[in-house]
Amino acid sequence: MDLSKLPNDMKLQLCKSYFKVGCLFLPFVWAVNVCWFFRDAFIKPAYDEQKLIKKFVIMSAIGAFVWAVILVTWITVYQTNRVSWGATGDALSFIVPLGRA
Amino acid sequence: MSESGSDLDATEHTALMDGHIAEARPDRELAERIARKRKTKSDNQRSYGSVEQIEGGPSGASIAQQPRVPAAPVEPQIEELELKYGARHVIKLFVPVTLCMLVVVATISSINFYSVKDVYLAYTPFHEESPYASTKVWNALANSMILLCVIALMTVLLIVLYKKKCYKTIHGWLILSSLILLFLFSYLYIEEALIAYNIPMDYITLGFVLWNFGVMGMIVIHWKGPLRLQQAYLIFIAALMALVFIKYLPEWTTWAVLAVISIWDLVAVLTPKGPLRILVETAQERNEPIFPALIYSSTVMYCMAAASPAPGAAGTVEGEGRDGTEAGGGEAGFDAAWRERRDEGAAPRRLRVDSAPPRYVTRLDPPHAPHAPPHAPDLDEEKGVKLGLGDFIFYSVLVGKASSYGDWNTTLACFVAILIGLCLTLLLLAILKKALPALPISITFGLIFYFATRSVVKPFADALAAEQVFI
Repeated sequence: MDLSKLPNDMKLQLCKSYFKVGCLFLPFVWAVNVCWFFRDAFIKPAYDEQKLIKKFVIMSAIGAFVWAVILVTWITVYQTNRVSWGATGDALSFIVPLGRA
Repeated sequence: MSESGSDLDATEHTALMDGHIAEARPDRELAERIARKRKTKSDNQRSYGSVEQIEGGPSGASIAQQPRVPAAPVEPQIEELELKYGARHVIKLFVPVTLCMLVVVATISSINFYSVKDVYLAYTPFHEESPYASTKVWNALANSMILLCVIALMTVLLIVLYKKKCYKTIHGWLILSSLILLFLFSYLYIEEALIAYNIPMDYITLGFVLWNFGVMGMIVIHWKGPLRLQQAYLIFIAALMALVFIKYLPEWTTWAVLAVISIWDLVAVLTPKGPLRILVETAQERNEPIFPALIYSSTVMYCMAAASPAPGAAGTVEGEGRDGTEAGGGEAGFDAAWRERRDEGAAPRRLRVDSAPPRYVTRLDPPHAPHAPPHAPDLDEEKGVKLGLGDFIFYSVLVGKASSYGDWNTTLACFVAILIGLCLTLLLLAILKKALPALPISITFGLIFYFATRSVVKPFADALAAEQVFI
């Protein structure tokens, strides 16, 4: 999909759809939204829909960041405490490493 | 050029979507540049004038016909243009093919799971367990015949569906297969990778990551997304399929299947009654863009002025997963996905270079047109090279299998062989200008190089290394 060939209103539609989809526990979609529309939102000279696109991009960025923080925190907590959690740790584990704790 | 615009029947030389090419500017600029270099400016101005007015013409037929007369001085430039354009896009294919092979080779080398033969699929009932070479040979041939029949069946089924215009069925199939591929196979891949590297992982993180990965993949393949991401996903799923093939096919069967599939490819595309040829011609008659499911394209295809972008409409370059009939029992999702890959492998194994105005299609695309033909005129296609995912898969199977024996000489030899084959195929494409199968030449070279390197070069290199002789 080449953004430069799309008319502005379609770009807005696309950005909005990506934002909406990202609300379903999908920070990756938000991240892609940010990367993809970054140029259109901030670097391109102003056009009508840019304001809204900017809004969506910023919201997606914030959302993706928050999710990233949550994910990293959880992973850190899990990896450091997995052993000490004993049974719960094992129940949560999908892969239990062999040869070490 | 080579378009037979005069007759109303579609043949293999009829360019697809002739009348719907709106843009020609880039080509004209390049042609102009070449013309300027050759200092035949006045001539070209004259002929461009006539080409231009013709382009506004109503149908593809006229575009094809009239330029022939006044545009004679432009023709050699346009030819050269085509070849240059084609060559440029050929190089663009090298990168994804190489990447796919890299992923497969890296996985095979590091993750033991894919080299271990424990379970086999229902499609290969002969497991090559006897110590005699002759038994293994007929086992391998029998297995590959079975697989070939399954593929042929799937292809015919697809043609029937397409001819009956059951677009919804095809589309649903596509979605089902890509779902299976993106979720199930990726899950297995991640699981094996984690086990191989002994990394603990919890269900929550895994579920979350997989969910994101899978949904993003579905969006980007079937709907709209950044081109690079789409290409990356396609390369990844092609690699996944190749890994499945490598793991679940017995040793000799793999090689037999490769050979048999190449021959099937040749037959299906080039013979007049070949199923894939029929597919292309049907699409041409209906003047629909052959929906690029399971095709990797180096540039973008998108739909302008379409009121409501139909899901997975000609917008995105590739769709994924075709087929998917029923999920017959048997091993997990492998059957359905297997079958889907079968079919997918069958059709989109062609090469295609699009260029305009002298537009030649040298590639057969699996015909999926999920949106009504009225949208077709709005389709604006960028020129780019398209290669079927099935081609990616079989190339990677060959190189992956070669690498699974541990010898890097062989792996590199096969890799080079495949790229050479690809170049040759694309050269033929530029010359012949019609749909061509991408597998035969590459696979033949690959197989020759593999067996030659394994039996001749490897012992030689080993002997040299042992004696520390460097050449």
